[in-house]
Amino acid sequence: MNTVREFLAKLSSMGKSGPVLDEPQRFLLLSIIIGVFSGLVVVCFHISIEVLNWITIHSLAPGAKYLTPLWPALGGLAAYLLVHFVVPTARGTGVNYTKTAVYASDGYIPFRSVLGKFFTCTLSIGTGNPMGPEDPALQMGAGIASLLGRVFHLTREHMRLIAPIGAAAGIGAAFNTPIAAVLFVMEEVMSAWNAGVLGSIVLSAVSAVVVSRWFLGDEVLYQVPEIEVGDYSELLLYAAIGAVGGWLSALFCRHAIKLRGRILKLPDRRRIWLPAVAGLTVGVVGIFAPETLGAGYQVIDGALHDRFPWNLLLVMGLLKLLSSALCFGCGTPGGLFAPTLFVGAMLGGGLAGLAQLVWPLSTSSVGAYVLVGIGVFFAGVFRAPMTSVFMVFELSASYVVILPVMIANTIAILVSRRMEHESVFQLSAYQDGLELPSIEDRRETPALNVEDAMLRTRDLVVSDRISVSEALAVIESAQSEALLVEVRYGQWRWIGKRELERARDNGDGDSTLRETMKMWPVTRTYPDVPLDQAMRNLAIYPTLPVTSRVNPSFLLGTLTLADVHRAYGITSREPEAKPSNTGPASA
Amino acid sequence: MAKRYTCLVCRNEIAHPNAECPYCRSRSVIAEGASPRILGMVFGVMIGVFVLTGFYAKSFKQERTTRGEHHFGVAEGLLAQGEHATAIKEYRNALSYAKEEPQYRLGLAEALFQDEQYAETENHLVDLRGQDPTSGILNYLLAQLAARQGRVDEAVSYYRTAIHARWDGETDRTLDRRLEVRLELVDLLETQGREQQLTAELIALAQIIPDDQELQHRLGALMLQTGLYDRASSLFRTLLESDPQDHEALLGRGEAEFQLGNYLTARTQYNRARLLHDDSSTNERIALCNRIIELDPTRRGISLSERYRRSRVLIDRARDATLTCQNPHGDTFVGPLVALSVDLANALQIADNSLSERPGRATDEAVEANTLIAEELWQQAQPLCEASSPPDPPLMHVMAKLSR
Repeated sequence: MNTVREFLAKLSSMGKSGPVLDEPQRFLLLSIIIGVFSGLVVVCFHISIEVLNWITIHSLAPGAKYLTPLWPALGGLAAYLLVHFVVPTARGTGVNYTKTAVYASDGYIPFRSVLGKFFTCTLSIGTGNPMGPEDPALQMGAGIASLLGRVFHLTREHMRLIAPIGAAAGIGAAFNTPIAAVLFVMEEVMSAWNAGVLGSIVLSAVSAVVVSRWFLGDEVLYQVPEIEVGDYSELLLYAAIGAVGGWLSALFCRHAIKLRGRILKLPDRRRIWLPAVAGLTVGVVGIFAPETLGAGYQVIDGALHDRFPWNLLLVMGLLKLLSSALCFGCGTPGGLFAPTLFVGAMLGGGLAGLAQLVWPLSTSSVGAYVLVGIGVFFAGVFRAPMTSVFMVFELSASYVVILPVMIANTIAILVSRRMEHESVFQLSAYQDGLELPSIEDRRETPALNVEDAMLRTRDLVVSDRISVSEALAVIESAQSEALLVEVRYGQWRWIGKRELERARDNGDGDSTLRETMKMWPVTRTYPDVPLDQAMRNLAIYPTLPVTSRVNPSFLLGTLTLADVHRAYGITSREPEAKPSNTGPASA
Repeated sequence: MAKRYTCLVCRNEIAHPNAECPYCRSRSVIAEGASPRILGMVFGVMIGVFVLTGFYAKSFKQERTTRGEHHFGVAEGLLAQGEHATAIKEYRNALSYAKEEPQYRLGLAEALFQDEQYAETENHLVDLRGQDPTSGILNYLLAQLAARQGRVDEAVSYYRTAIHARWDGETDRTLDRRLEVRLELVDLLETQGREQQLTAELIALAQIIPDDQELQHRLGALMLQTGLYDRASSLFRTLLESDPQDHEALLGRGEAEFQLGNYLTARTQYNRARLLHDDSSTNERIALCNRIIELDPTRRGISLSERYRRSRVLIDRARDATLTCQNPHGDTFVGPLVALSVDLANALQIADNSLSERPGRATDEAVEANTLIAEELWQQAQPLCEASSPPDPPLMHVMAKLSR
């Protein structure tokens, strides 16, 4: 017992002796705990959905298929009522909710939303509504992380980072693909490549997947058959699939969001019934095409194994597209991850079958096209290029289709972006009145570096052999507050205008700088350094020497705060230069 | 009393858990809230949730297994009754509960195969084979599938792997299954006319063939078909040792010996067969044997003069055969005859000269010389005679024997 206590004491770094876990280590430990908890919850979520599916859709006798529409209608209605009256925090997409937590509420996600997502999505997906469990799992993971962060009294900075860590765990456990989970969180939730938190995200995703596999077994979501890619000319076909997929994904985003927007404007008393109507419609479709009900993983598996003819694949894809757009628009709880994969798979498989009829050369197996279709539609809807490629790689465990996937996904994103500038998450965020950052926005804003601001002359550099008066003349002509003094080749120090004036007033105007002045060391910077980083140095040193990385003694130019302002376009209000009569220590 | 918080780095007092330490300016990640008590509680809850999830998952898995087994059982029954479409549906249901159960997938593949849905069958089988490349049944099914789709090379490869593979659950029938597979392979090779591969398979099959008369008859017939006459003869001889009245074996051995040029032995076997069952084909075979034996100048036990006589007859019949080949229509033909090559014309001239000479003294040298003349003429006439049907079967057999 004492040993356990000692161990816990060490873990929490409260022990008076022994090794103390530093801050990053403690954060990593917390990531594992989050991963384990998220994995456990997602396992229960997964089982609950399947059990409810057995009880409802699967329990219908073959002669009672006409009762199918009742289940999704009832499930949708019950789930929506729960969201509306009991857990409003479980409304909307998990990605946006988690993003809001990261960017607006310091990582705070109420635990009630975790429970809400669990029960509402179990009700809707388990009764056959064509939504996916991944997005809710993501929010559940983030909610659990947020709760643990509060329990452990994390700082605000770490609280903001903790939600994406949980999100990765949630999605990783739900989809059984840790790499895709990590990338998806980076691309969609954090909207940035943050190296600082990457380790924690990986740890949590991996621990969640381990827990999930522990309980549910190693079985992958899809049994991907052996895939062979044919001739290189076939890449044209893949490119065509990318274009069609991109076009269709943009249409899907546009119309699903439009429908959602219209429904959001309806009064509550009417809106409440819409998930039931959507469920009823889905159920009616499900009587004739039961494959479109639920998440549809098995149908994707069937498509991978060439189970369906191409025309049936296209019909199923279209039906799923419409039914999932309808449910999403009507506010049926659930995610878009699984329906997107479904539609992509059907699209890829259907077009493959069609291509095999008309393409003069040999084509790859249908499985390859199904995988490419999955990646294409995913990329088009979510605009997460890295995730879409690595997800396919993780699913197929083969590099064979990577080249077609990369080509098709790139084309899909380009086409989709041209038609609809924002991703489905971004559009729904706008609809909900949220202005959340996206990785695409950030990509479009170029970061400024030192080379964009630096002065490429030696106007602010003098030798230490010149007199104080000469130095003052230089500083005045350059309208600067400080100078760089080259004390030796490749070594510079800085000196302030006020100190020079004081020396002149003391009668040392003709003395050289070396003899009279006390000069302060200065740190150098390089042209490729981001301005953000350079500005931290400018807070200490008024002027920075910019040198070559190849030859650090060679001066390329200088950088001052005024140069930075000019680079950012701040010209109207020139900031007053700080009097720099003190050294870096006091600065 | 107000709660006190301490900095985790310098141990000084701080205002609240999230406050920056005024002494060391650090911000602690796990502050007072992460005391061993809290951490212990978190681990305790984790273990509790773990155990509960374990129970939940266990009962879920049990239920899933039960449902899967139920559907699998139904599917097996339906497949046995030949109701492929319903069986496929049930197999799919079973698989929806246990995606990675190889038995279910194999069952589905078999049902799909029988329902002639080859593309999906192959995907499932290839998947399964990826997991268990040495499974006999998987390789066998893949071989059948490839054979049915006309991919013979692939089928042969799968059959060969199946022959040497593992046959789980059929330990006592492994040899039988291997034999069945090999026989199917032999059938395929025979149908495809792949003589060389068939020969190799037959030789291998002869080593393992069980004591089954019907199988051995079949093997012998295949050996005769592929030109393995000595092996066929040996096989039929063994059969005759155990049953001298085996009509099929007698005919088989007779044919093997005939093809090997042992016309006397062949005739003996045919005669014995005729005693058991008199039919026209056997009689024709015996008659042919007799004519060959009467023409053969190398036959042992005949006098030198008889050998000499036969050698001249051989030249004469070779000459007649050549002329028949040149003009298959006989004297009624009025058109121009096929031009003879210089070598053939020379050989014919030599034969004519030899026949026009008065028969000399019968010596071994003279017999040898005549035989050579006949052989040379027969050889030169071959391109000419290939276009028409063999004009003189006994001559053809004797010439074949001489060339051997």
